[in-house]
Amino acid sequence: MKISFTINGEQQSIDIEDGNTPLLWVVRDMLDLKGTKFGCGKAACGACTLHIDGEAVRSCSYAVKFAEGKNLTTIEGLGTRETPHPVQQAWMEHVVPQCGYCQPGFMMATAALLEKNPNPTDEDIDNNIINVCRCATYVRMRKAIHRAAELTQSANPVNQ
Amino acid sequence: MTEKKKVSRRKFLIRGSLGTLGVLAVGTYVFRNPIRRMGLEMAETLIPPYSGEGTDANLWFEITKDNQVVLQSPKVEMGQGTFTSLAQMVADELDVALDQVQVIGAATDTGIVDGMSTGGSLSVASLWTPLREMAATVREMIKAEAAKQMGVAVGTLSTSNGSVSGGGKSMTYAEVAEGVTEWKLPKTPELRAVKDYKFIGQPIKRIDLAPKVFGDPIFGMDAEMPRMLHACVIRPEHVGATFKSAETSSAESMPGVVKIVQKEDWVGVVAETYAQALAAKMTIKVDWDVPKQWTEEGIRSILQVGKGNKMITQKQGGALDEADAEVVSMEFKSPIGAHAQIEPNGALALVKDGSATIVLSTQVIGVTQKQVSEALGLPLDKVNVIPTYLGGGFGRRLNTVHAVQAAQMSQAVGKPVKYFFTRKEEFQHDTFRPPTHHIMRGKLGADGLLEGLEHHYASGDVAINSVILPPMLTTIFGTDIGAMRGGNIQYDKVPSHRAVQWHTTLPFATSWWRSLGLLANTFAIESFVDEMAIKAGKNPVEFRLQQVSDKGTGKRLKAVMQKAGETYKDETINGRAMGFAASVDAGAPCAHVVEVSIEDKEIIVHKVICVFDCGIAVNPDQVKAQCEGAIVMGMSGAMHEQMTLKDGQLYPTIYGPYNMALMRHAPKEVEVILIQGDDKPYPVGEPPMGPIGAAIGNAVRRLTGERLTDLPMRLA
Amino acid sequence: MRSQKLIYIIPIILFATILFATDLASPKLADATEAGLAAEEVLHDGTNFDKMMAVLMHKRCVNCHPSDNIPKQGEDSHAHNFGMARGDGNHGFEATNCNTCHQSENNDFSGVPGAPEWSLAPESMKWEGLTRTEIAASMLDPKRNGGRTHHEVMEHLTEHALVLWAWTPGIDAAGNPREAPPVPVDEYIAAVKEWFEAGAVIPAE
Repeated sequence: MKISFTINGEQQSIDIEDGNTPLLWVVRDMLDLKGTKFGCGKAACGACTLHIDGEAVRSCSYAVKFAEGKNLTTIEGLGTRETPHPVQQAWMEHVVPQCGYCQPGFMMATAALLEKNPNPTDEDIDNNIINVCRCATYVRMRKAIHRAAELTQSANPVNQ
Repeated sequence: MTEKKKVSRRKFLIRGSLGTLGVLAVGTYVFRNPIRRMGLEMAETLIPPYSGEGTDANLWFEITKDNQVVLQSPKVEMGQGTFTSLAQMVADELDVALDQVQVIGAATDTGIVDGMSTGGSLSVASLWTPLREMAATVREMIKAEAAKQMGVAVGTLSTSNGSVSGGGKSMTYAEVAEGVTEWKLPKTPELRAVKDYKFIGQPIKRIDLAPKVFGDPIFGMDAEMPRMLHACVIRPEHVGATFKSAETSSAESMPGVVKIVQKEDWVGVVAETYAQALAAKMTIKVDWDVPKQWTEEGIRSILQVGKGNKMITQKQGGALDEADAEVVSMEFKSPIGAHAQIEPNGALALVKDGSATIVLSTQVIGVTQKQVSEALGLPLDKVNVIPTYLGGGFGRRLNTVHAVQAAQMSQAVGKPVKYFFTRKEEFQHDTFRPPTHHIMRGKLGADGLLEGLEHHYASGDVAINSVILPPMLTTIFGTDIGAMRGGNIQYDKVPSHRAVQWHTTLPFATSWWRSLGLLANTFAIESFVDEMAIKAGKNPVEFRLQQVSDKGTGKRLKAVMQKAGETYKDETINGRAMGFAASVDAGAPCAHVVEVSIEDKEIIVHKVICVFDCGIAVNPDQVKAQCEGAIVMGMSGAMHEQMTLKDGQLYPTIYGPYNMALMRHAPKEVEVILIQGDDKPYPVGEPPMGPIGAAIGNAVRRLTGERLTDLPMRLA
Repeated sequence: MRSQKLIYIIPIILFATILFATDLASPKLADATEAGLAAEEVLHDGTNFDKMMAVLMHKRCVNCHPSDNIPKQGEDSHAHNFGMARGDGNHGFEATNCNTCHQSENNDFSGVPGAPEWSLAPESMKWEGLTRTEIAASMLDPKRNGGRTHHEVMEHLTEHALVLWAWTPGIDAAGNPREAPPVPVDEYIAAVKEWFEAGAVIPAE
């Protein structure tokens, strides 16, 4: 079957026999976007998190057939070295990553959070950021999330 | 490859002008020590020698045409920040700018790989002197050559930012080295004073930061080769199961399946896509022989103080009399621990025309090369192992079975094959942190200090049966040197103190898990010492300080305890209590003060103050990062994680049911104070994991009166 | 006899219509491989109320009708992993809402269950820990059932895809089929309709 969607701003069309194939494998192996990671394949670790129509979705548990007509963003589309997303900028300021494998999933989850809640409290962060980081970089992540919120707000001041 | 040459530490082999890369400065540095020097004491405190092997074709550095220095690192980068520290060390002696240095993990074809492993928190510590010496030597080589080319005395030249200048003239290193085939070898120059370094000692941002923030494909799982196929291997669910036969007929005709590979003790599916391989795998029926249904009780019955191989690892004075009413005894336990690193193990292998290329996340490049060469019957120099960045190591990647299997599958299909574990396989076929059992004994004297202190402990394999250590080491040591970490008693002023290890090999693989025995051993010892301090009515920091002498690491340990002790209050304020604990690991002392409260039976760690003496902190920011990570990972192990057995299978097999510390559990405040107690770098990645469990247990003890003795710590 | 048979024909026709729906969002009731494991004791005898409540008190239903703000999961109804909770709109949190993991169909690769409009039942519909007569009363009370009439409640119970998902609950992360409620779906639907038609009488217990 043919499935068409936009990914990182570009139109894509793929031909695939089994529409139930997890989106994760389509993104990684067919579209060669390796930033979205496989950690468990059971929607438990969050390493596969990307955005579908602005919502955080765990792509290992999302059948590619549902992507028809949707707008996808992966870490590669979140920002670039030349124009980093505020989350990425904050991540670099606080030197968050250690092994780095889980980080794209965390950054995508954080970006989705800030899109809807530009000034999350620590409790909001606890509730929303539930991915697993084995290197346990959470301490710096929390600082980076608050910093990213700062950067987001200074770029888009919210009028009360 | 040419035969191994034993080269003394001051000789170099140089190979110049390698094709399009322009100039190569090639260094071969061998720093060998005979195994007999690796005494038991070394396992605890000294740094084992780097065990690389040198041959002509291997390089450490390349200086490229655009004046970049490429360091072929024998150590891999798994998040511990090694690449960054090594770059700092190179830049400071080679006199290049930091952004002129690129670090890549050496492949067996192109660089020196460590014959043992990346692990033990040893990368920076073991390369501290050799790497700087080599960088300094290369600098002098370039200066000498520049002097010749410029027609000036070498003493008039200075080096900076990758250029040599003097007498109004300047040349880049690349310009100097271009086309040169014969180099003059200088004597190894004096290294600079640490205080004069520009990069070492500075909190430089990780050099791999951008690749990790922008999602570059740098991990083993990201590796690609043209026309690559995907594979699964079927593994048993039951502990102790062996392969009998497999029914694969329906799998063979499933969409995308290229070949079912059947070996003596395993079956693999190779297909066009991973999803297809998985789907085919589900149709394969394997007949496993399961001789026994292991249970948690069954494991605990063989894993006990008093069972297995006994070794007294420390002995001072006489043994405590168990019948003595004054002797306090306490039992502690820790469970099986999974590595649970987020990137599963796997490999991309291409075996064709009598040679093999393996691309994978690994901590054992050299061992992998050897094992693939043996399994495939290929000569060593026909097997090229290329390490990538690791999505977590923690000791999980100190083995090679998946590389061999990927290679064998590729050999069977004549195409590249990418294979990796499913998460369930990672949980059931891990090389786990072994469960432990401890009996602490202690007796207070009239002065309220300890008269006797004993740590009896039982553990499964850590070092024993590991693929990276020769079996004869076990014979030499008679003990498991990994399980021993943190097992000896640091309170050497206690007149009678001893540590006794009981070792048992369990029916599932157990091996290295970040900090090895340190986590469980320190939990037992520091919880018990705390209990004895309470019994003696003494401040727990003072109680400890009074029982450590100045010998060995004692002075540094006390300095760390003292500093941490400044923030410790032995009282409960507003529902929060503090806990204190300290340990020494691999010569690096660390103390933690934690602030804890309890809400709805949940132990909440609000704040951790970590005082750590790692000697010279090559990159203090990354040392702090390692402390932060070790603290929270230690919390995860001490408060959340537990593998067990269910229906003869290791369980659980997924994150979630395998509880781990998440964002919500991480302390909101972690402060790391670094003390430099020695003039060289010490191991960093593991030592800060020691005190955290006991510190938290000690705080809980003060809040509730309850002494938690079984990990993971839970309130009833 | 005839009138009894007539009564059964109506729900069977309605049921058949559902079966033949081709909308992607419909649960694939006809696909045997997706059917859940039958509960250990399948209930065929008993009153309509017995049958209806045997289903509504089953974990496949009560797991998402918690009495607190925590969805439950699994055969042992443990608290949903990773601290998932109700959030503000019964749908979790901004970056981790139900649809972050749950889609409109079960996912056999991940073992994550799915159905259209996957969500926690509103707090007013908390059933966990209630007796069956308490649940029935709650269900009929417009103040707690989202302002529904009896007829609307009946429709919800017999036609809502999310409700009917319970009979094709898919497999879990370990590949084990989830247990379906202890009354076959057609018998349940018939029992519900009959009970409402007979006046929705909650027996005294």
